[in-house]
Amino acid sequence: MTEKEILMQVRNLSVMYKTKLGEVSAVDNVSFDIHKGEILGLVGESGCGKSTMGKALMRMIQPPGKITSGQIIVDGEDIMTYDQKQMRDFRGRKVSMIFQDPMTSLNPVQRVDEHIVEAIQVHESKTKTEEALSRAEGLIQRLGIRKNRMKSYPHQLSGGMRQRVMVGLGLVLNANLIIADEATTSLDVIVEAQLADELRDIRETFGVSLLVITHNIALVAELSDRLAVMYAGHIVEMGDVETVFDTPLHPYTKGLLKSIPNIKLDDTEKLYKMPGEPPNLTHPPTGCRFHPRCPYAMPICSKYEPYFKEVLPGRAVKCWLYIDHPEKESETIEVTA
Amino acid sequence: MDNLINDKNNNDYLVEVQNLIKWFPVQTTFIDQLFSKERDFVRAVDGVSFNIRRGEVLGLAGESGSGKTTIGRVTIGLEEKTKGNVIFDGIDLSTLSAEELRKLRRRMQVIFQDPLASLNPRMSLGDAIRQGLDIHYPETANNHRDMVLDIMEKVGLSPAKFFYNKFPHQISGGQRQRVVIARALVTQPDLILADEPIAMADVSVRALLLDLMVQLKDEFNLTYLFITHDLATAKYICDRIAILYLGKIVEISELTEVYAYPLHPYTRALLAAVPVPDPHDRRTEPMPKGEIPNPINPPPGCRFHPRCPYAQEICSQQEPFLRELRIGHEVACHFAEDFLTES
Amino acid sequence: MKSLDGQEETTSTQEEVPEWLLDLDRVGFVRRLLFARKWYGGDWWFVLISGILLLFIIIVGIFPQWFAPYDPKVEVGPSLLPPGEAPPSFWLLTKSEGGEIELQDIADKTNNIGFIIGSAASQAMREAVDELNDTAPEGTRYQPRQQRFETLEEGLEALIAGEIDGFIASPEEIGSALDNYPSLQADKTLRERGEKGFVFGTNQIGQDVLSRIIWGTRIALIVGLSSAVVSLVVGVPLGLISGFVGGPFDRILTLLMDSIYSFPGLILAISIAAVLGAGIGNIIVSIAVLYVPTYFRIVRGQTLSVKKELYVEAARSLGTKWRDILTKYILPNVIPSVVIIFSVNVGDAILTEAGLSFLGFGLPPDTPDWGIDLARGQDYVRRAWWLITYPGLMVTLVTLSFSMLGESLSEILNPRLTER
Repeated sequence: MTEKEILMQVRNLSVMYKTKLGEVSAVDNVSFDIHKGEILGLVGESGCGKSTMGKALMRMIQPPGKITSGQIIVDGEDIMTYDQKQMRDFRGRKVSMIFQDPMTSLNPVQRVDEHIVEAIQVHESKTKTEEALSRAEGLIQRLGIRKNRMKSYPHQLSGGMRQRVMVGLGLVLNANLIIADEATTSLDVIVEAQLADELRDIRETFGVSLLVITHNIALVAELSDRLAVMYAGHIVEMGDVETVFDTPLHPYTKGLLKSIPNIKLDDTEKLYKMPGEPPNLTHPPTGCRFHPRCPYAMPICSKYEPYFKEVLPGRAVKCWLYIDHPEKESETIEVTA
Repeated sequence: MDNLINDKNNNDYLVEVQNLIKWFPVQTTFIDQLFSKERDFVRAVDGVSFNIRRGEVLGLAGESGSGKTTIGRVTIGLEEKTKGNVIFDGIDLSTLSAEELRKLRRRMQVIFQDPLASLNPRMSLGDAIRQGLDIHYPETANNHRDMVLDIMEKVGLSPAKFFYNKFPHQISGGQRQRVVIARALVTQPDLILADEPIAMADVSVRALLLDLMVQLKDEFNLTYLFITHDLATAKYICDRIAILYLGKIVEISELTEVYAYPLHPYTRALLAAVPVPDPHDRRTEPMPKGEIPNPINPPPGCRFHPRCPYAQEICSQQEPFLRELRIGHEVACHFAEDFLTES
Repeated sequence: MKSLDGQEETTSTQEEVPEWLLDLDRVGFVRRLLFARKWYGGDWWFVLISGILLLFIIIVGIFPQWFAPYDPKVEVGPSLLPPGEAPPSFWLLTKSEGGEIELQDIADKTNNIGFIIGSAASQAMREAVDELNDTAPEGTRYQPRQQRFETLEEGLEALIAGEIDGFIASPEEIGSALDNYPSLQADKTLRERGEKGFVFGTNQIGQDVLSRIIWGTRIALIVGLSSAVVSLVVGVPLGLISGFVGGPFDRILTLLMDSIYSFPGLILAISIAAVLGAGIGNIIVSIAVLYVPTYFRIVRGQTLSVKKELYVEAARSLGTKWRDILTKYILPNVIPSVVIIFSVNVGDAILTEAGLSFLGFGLPPDTPDWGIDLARGQDYVRRAWWLITYPGLMVTLVTLSFSMLGESLSEILNPRLTER
C-alpha cells in the first residue's frame, strides 16, 4: 500500500451550539485525516453532527454555534489561526463546498457564467473577464452542461444542473478538497448516479479530494474509498470502505449496515431494526454515547468514554470492546487484518 | 348509494384505474390570456391504467415528474381527474356527489410523506387520531377514546395514555409518523395511499416503520398504494410495482419479476442507478444522459426516446403501448423483446 | 434497554416511560409556568412586567374611586397649582388707619376688592367669601366686587387712593413691597398656607390632575377595549370566510378593506365621528371601524397560508366537513396572531381615542379624559407644564404596555415546531 499523502489533519475538533434547551455538543473531540485524492465518506443519521463537521472544516460555523477547540491543519498551517482575509482565501481556493439545496446556494439574479467569473475574480483579482469566461466555459462543458446554458439563471436549470454548477465553482479555482454536504439528497436517482460518476471522474482527472457527507450509506458504498461513521458527535468507526462493510467493528456500524435496504434480490435478509433513538445532545449519555442502545453494552460503557483507537493501520474504532481497561471484566477483542 | 359506500363488495379488484389523464393548467399572466388562445398544460398523468387487487401492495415508482403522486391523489379522490375512470370497489368516483365522496373517505386513507406538516400543530395526538372516528361514526363518540388508545398501542406509541395528550412538536419524527399511521388506520379503511411514508424518517427508524406497515397490513386486511422514488425500500414491502416515466407506466409486474427481468430501458437504468450498499458490487453501467424533460411538452412518440441508448426511428414517431411479454409482466417499449433473452 | 431523556421510541419490547415524566404531565400549569421561565429567558420578563403593569392599570380603570384622591370634576384647589406645591397663603391688605379690618367688614356689595390679574387670589377670595356666606346669618349676603389690576403697585396705589377697599395677594406676590407702603396693613389670616399640595398639581379650573388622570383611565380602557373587541368580532370572521372561500367575494371584500386601511387612521375616525355625532358609543364605533381591516388582512392571510398546509389536506382526506376544517384546523392556528394584534390594537385605540377627544369629538367637554386634558393644557405649556405632561405620559405608558405585552406574547404563543 502506497503512502497516502495527507491533505488535511483534524485534531480534537469540538463544536458547540447554544440553544434555548442548553448547550448542544454537536461535534465532540474528533480527530481524523483526509488524504490527497481520496473520496472519504462521512455517514450518520440526522443530528449526528456530520453537517456541522463539514461546515467546521471551512470554519463556517455561525453563532449560536462555535468551534470550541481543535486544530485543522492544511499544508502545514492550522486554519484555526487564520484571520478573516486568510480564511476568505482558503475558502474557495483550497476547500469548497456543495450544499444540499442548490437553489438557495446559487444567486438567483446571477447567470451561470457570472457565477463562475465572480468566483475566479474574487480569488484571483487580476484575472481579466475574458480569460475568466473562457476558463468557465471549458469547465462547464467538462461537467456536461451545454454551452448554451451558460447564460441561464439558476431557476432555469434543473436540480442536477445546478449541482454541477456548484461543483464547477469548486473546481474552477483548483480547490484541493470539495466537501459535498448531502449534495445528492434532493436529486432524482438517475441524476444522482450521473453526479456520482462526475465526481469520480473529477477525482481521477484533477486529483481533488472529496468529503462526501450523507445519510445515504449505499451511495457511500458506491463512491468512496474510505468511510467514517458518525454517531452523536463522535466518529465511532473509520477505515477502508470494503473493510468496514465486510467486518464492521462498532455495534452501531453493525446495526446501521444491517438496516439499509438493498435493492439486490439476492439479499433476502430482513431489515434490522435499531432500537432506541439518537440521543438528545444537550444531555448526552454518560460514557459512550451509544451505550443506551447497544446490544453489547458493558458496565464500563456507561462510566467512561472510549477513545478513538487505531486497531490496525488505517482502521480505527471507538468502542470498549476493542480497548483494554482495568475495570473491564470481559475480554478485549483483537482485530486481525 | 349509501349501501354501496359502506359495505364491501366482492369485486376482484379493489381499485380500477382506466386511461387516467390529469392535466394541470399552467398559470398564465393576464396578458397571455388576452392574446393567446392556447393554454399550456402540465401533463402530469397522461393515460394510465392499472388495477389494485385486494390485500396487495402496489408500488408506484418513479422519479420527479413521473406523475406517481398525482395518480395516488386522484385515485383517492383528493384531486379531480381530467379524463378517464377511477373505480373504487365497483363505485365510479365521478358519479358521487361531494357529500357521498366525503363519506367514502372512511374507506380510503392517506399516510403522507411529511409527518410534521400533516399533523395539526394545535391538536393533541389523541384528538388528531380520533378525527376519522368522530367524523364517520358520531354516534359512538364515547367509545372513541378507547379505540384510539387501542390503536396507539398497536402502532407502538406506548403507553398510549401518555401520548394521547401530547402535541406533534413534543415527540420525535418516527413517533409522528406512527401517529399518522394510526390516524389512517382508525377507521378501518380498505385502501391506504402511502405517499413516500418513510422518506423523511431517520435511517434507523425506517426499518421499524416498514415493518409496522407490513404487520398492520396483515392484521387489518389492508391494501396499499405505495408511492416511492426509493426502489431499494420498495423491495421490502411491494408485491407488484409499476415504473412510471413522465406520466405513463412503462413497466408493471410483480416486483421480483421486474427487478430480475427489467425489460424497459428506463427501468434498467433506474435499477442500475440505485446505489447498492456493497462496495464490492459497484455499478459499471453508464447512466443515460440528460434529465427528465418538461411535462408540459413531452417528447413525441416514446417519452424516453431522447435519452434511450437503444432508440430507433420508430421510437420518436409512435408511442409504444403496454404489452404483456411475460406472464403478468407488461412493458411499453417497441424493442423490449430484445431484453427477453438476457437474464 | 435504559431510558433516555424521556422521548423514548418504543419497540416490541414495550418499554416503560419513566415515572417522573408521567408525573410531570400531571403537575400541570404552575410547574410549566416555572419551566417557561427557563425556556423563554429575557422575553419572559417582558411579559411579566407588562402584564403586571397592565393589570394595575386595569384595576385602576375599574375602581378609580379607590385611587383618586378627589372628585375629578370638582374644583378642589387653586387653579394652576404646580405639582406638589401647597396652595399659598393669602393676605388681605387694607389701610392701616381703619384699625383691624377683616374681610367681613369689606365684603358687601358696595365694596371693591382687588387682586393681580390671573392670580389665584381671585379664587382665594371666592372661597373666603363663600365661607363667610356659609356662616352668615339669614339675609346677609357677602358679594364684594372684584377689581383686577395689572401689577401689584397699581393695586396698592388704588388701595391708598381709596378706590378699593381691600387687596388680596399672596406673600410671594407682595414680596417686600409693603416696606414702601407704611400706611397699609396686612391681615395674614385670610387664607392659611395649605398643608398639602396636589401630587400632579391642578388644572386651570382647579381640578386635581391626578384624579382626572385616574378617572381618565376608565374611559380610555372602556373605549380602547370596546372598540378593539368590536373590531375583532367583525374583522376575524370576515377574514376567515374571505380567505377560505376565495373567489370574487374575497376580491371585493379585500378591496373594500384595503380602501379603509389606506385611509390615515385619525382622519377616518374623525370623519365617522363627525357623521355619527357625539357620544361614547359613536366614538367606539368610529375607532372600531379603523381596525377592522387590520384583523381582516392578517386573518385572511393566515387563513390562505394555513389552507395550503398539509394537515388541512390531511383533514380533507379524512372526510372532515369544511365547517370543522375552519373551526378546528384553521381558526386555532390563526388565534395567536389575533391575540397579538388585539393587545397592540387596544393600545392604539386608546391613542386614537385621545386624539379624537383632543380634537373635540365625541366626549362631553368636562369628562376626565386624557385627550381632553391634553387639549385643554395646550395653552398652558409654558406656565403649567404639568397639565399636558401627565396625561401625555399616561397615554404613552398604557400604549407601550399593551404593545410590549403583544410583542412578548408572540414568542410564547407560537408552538415550538422544531425539536433538536
